[in-house]
Amino acid sequence: MIAGLFFAFIAGSLVGLQNIFNSKVNEHAGSWVTTTLVLGLGFLASLTLGLINDGRNLFIIHNMQIWCWFSGLIGVGVVVCLMNGIKLLGPTFAILLVMTSQLGFALLWDSLGWFGLVEVPFTLKQFIGVLVIMSGVLVFKLSERQKITRSKNRLIVKRSKKIIS
Amino acid sequence: MKGSLFALLGGALITLQGVANSRISQDIGTWQTATVTQFTGFIAALLILIFVRDRNWTKLKQVNPLYLSGGALGAFIIFSNITAIHHIGATLAISIVLIAQLCLTFIIDIKGWFGVLKQKMSLSQCIGIGLMIAGVVILRF
Repeated sequence: MIAGLFFAFIAGSLVGLQNIFNSKVNEHAGSWVTTTLVLGLGFLASLTLGLINDGRNLFIIHNMQIWCWFSGLIGVGVVVCLMNGIKLLGPTFAILLVMTSQLGFALLWDSLGWFGLVEVPFTLKQFIGVLVIMSGVLVFKLSERQKITRSKNRLIVKRSKKIIS
Repeated sequence: MKGSLFALLGGALITLQGVANSRISQDIGTWQTATVTQFTGFIAALLILIFVRDRNWTKLKQVNPLYLSGGALGAFIIFSNITAIHHIGATLAISIVLIAQLCLTFIIDIKGWFGVLKQKMSLSQCIGIGLMIAGVVILRF
């Protein structure tokens, strides 16, 4: 239990950090150069760590089903969806929906016990827990949006003052 | 409407990715899973890159090498995500991932690290994170 929470916390922090780094690369190089670079480096890092950890056994891949080779394509699908979502909705609302959907599908697949997940029976408690988390995301993201608008307004005011004077 | 569909599908795919990776790692090792899935993802992205016009490798030189190396974090992210889903299931794992993600972004915004626009701490953002933690407590106990 504690180990699970620990690794989830590490994963989340790294995702937050990576998002910031990626957006910096994105500003200069565009989405697909960024995606290719990120996945390529992730591959090299996994390969290196895998070799350190498993040695040559890393290359012995038995009993892997064919579909597993295609699971990497899901990541590419994520990039396409996020790119278009953000373009059409703006970052705040897009990410708000992305996160809500992430939680909703996690609850769905946990309750169905799909993809080898240990089936967790769907209870009212779980439903309420996920709703409360979603409302937390909503409050967080909406206040972020207000802040951004406010700082933009401040900038506009500053600029117009300059122009007037 | 179309934007919402993209965003909802994107979220579903992120969860699917975590869950599928944790399924694959039951057959092969966790590092093998991280290596294989990022390899196929990389090849696919490379193929797309060949066909899109929006590419400019030379501009990469203007980016701080620290930011360029962010991709390497992917190895640790996938490893941690798989391990977390194995231990505590998808719902709880993803809830904690999101909390940690928003907390870190929040801290970076307040401190203005990595050249992001420094922002004041707002009460409603703290309330948002508080609500998320409360939700996890409800989930678990």
